[in-house]
Amino acid sequence: MKIDVRLNGRDTAWEAPAGATLLAVLRDGGPNPARMISVKRGCETGDCGACTVLLDGQPVNSCVVAAGRAHGHEVTTLEGLAADPLMISLQKALVDHAGVQCGYCSPGMLISLYHLLRECRAAGVRPDDHAIREALSGNLCRCTGYVKPVAAAAAVAAALEAVQAAAPGKGTVAS
Amino acid sequence: MWDLKEYRIAGSAGEAVAMMRRGPGKGVYIAGGTDLFLFPPTCDYVVDINHAGLSDIVGSPDGDLFIGAATTLHDLATNPLVNRFAGGLLSEAAAHCGNRPVRSTATIGGNLCNALPSADLAPALLALDAVCYIADEDSQESLPLEDFFTGPRKTVLDGRLLVGIALSAEAAKRRALARRLTRSAEDIALVQVAVALEVIDGRVGAVRIALGSVAPVPMRAMLAEAQIEGELLSDLTPDRLADAGLIAASECDPIDDHRASAEYRREMVGVLTRRVLASALAWNPSDDKEGGAA
Repeated sequence: MKIDVRLNGRDTAWEAPAGATLLAVLRDGGPNPARMISVKRGCETGDCGACTVLLDGQPVNSCVVAAGRAHGHEVTTLEGLAADPLMISLQKALVDHAGVQCGYCSPGMLISLYHLLRECRAAGVRPDDHAIREALSGNLCRCTGYVKPVAAAAAVAAALEAVQAAAPGKGTVAS
Repeated sequence: MWDLKEYRIAGSAGEAVAMMRRGPGKGVYIAGGTDLFLFPPTCDYVVDINHAGLSDIVGSPDGDLFIGAATTLHDLATNPLVNRFAGGLLSEAAAHCGNRPVRSTATIGGNLCNALPSADLAPALLALDAVCYIADEDSQESLPLEDFFTGPRKTVLDGRLLVGIALSAEAAKRRALARRLTRSAEDIALVQVAVALEVIDGRVGAVRIALGSVAPVPMRAMLAEAQIEGELLSDLTPDRLADAGLIAASECDPIDDHRASAEYRREMVGVLTRRVLASALAWNPSDDKEGGAA
């Protein structure tokens, strides 16, 4: 089937088998895979989150989403956020806090955390540890024990809040 | 990979049914797909209903709710109308399903049409007297959710489309609570109990006790309900609630599997029913002021 999708900000047409998953087309499946290799093939049952991408801005497990589901929609992978300031600060924080060990879960974690922090920034709220852990509930990590990734996200959230406090009216709740 | 010949995208409910009935071969409706990709059914085509206008939650001025079948679990968990309906019973059930990325695409219709005995939303919806709206090419039908499930992974649909779920404003006022027992937070529930009841002038009105994961289909424990309905609050001693729990336990029909034994599940139906009833009866007494309770 032909799938028209906006991938990382660019209009793209995929030719994919009718039963393909979004993961397969993004990574290595079908006649013309997109080769987005940040999207990891993990459990393929929607449990581990290594294949997390944004579909219309919402985090999804691309291994249990049909490729056809993306027709007419917008898909964002880590590749598409490489120059995004928020994503860059998250990546730096994850490294600084030693929140990356084997690294296999990192792209999925970064997508989930990026989504959380962007939503919180828009709402003018700072996520607490519970909200960060909830956001990571779909990302399995067997190395870090989650403590360091959570600390990294909390550090970025604190920095965002400081920036917002310095620039009132931009993203803060109007009173 | 799922061996499909065709992926059809429907632009309306009517078109979805027409695409399903057109053949050739066997078709399956798809919305979120999170369950379908785990165990892809053998079929020739799927009909995607995500563009069929079935993803909205609509409240009527009277307080009724209509929830489109393709509404995601994340929307159910966060929608203000659903958050306020019967103490947010349905929102809470949705928030417990899977994990955050699963809830972005998994839908209420998928949870019900997949028809697992452990369907996470079913007990809450049964306790709130949910009504299913079903469309065929030239007919519409509505029926209570209790009559929707016909067995494990089986429903009354037979090629028809579940369009959405309606909840009546009457149920919005109920005191509603649920408990679920799992081995780990994201595992399938071993036992689910949802209770919704109304208290008028110190007396219990309508009572719903719904059970999940303990019978071939999600079910109501009607004999246990009858023990509580119409009783004075002051007569409902801990012993009476324990009795109601035992009756609910006798009504269910659990199986042994690798998660838990039937005996354990049945025992836990009794315990959870007693506890949830007790909490619901004692819950937020200030709510009853308008009912004029002495």
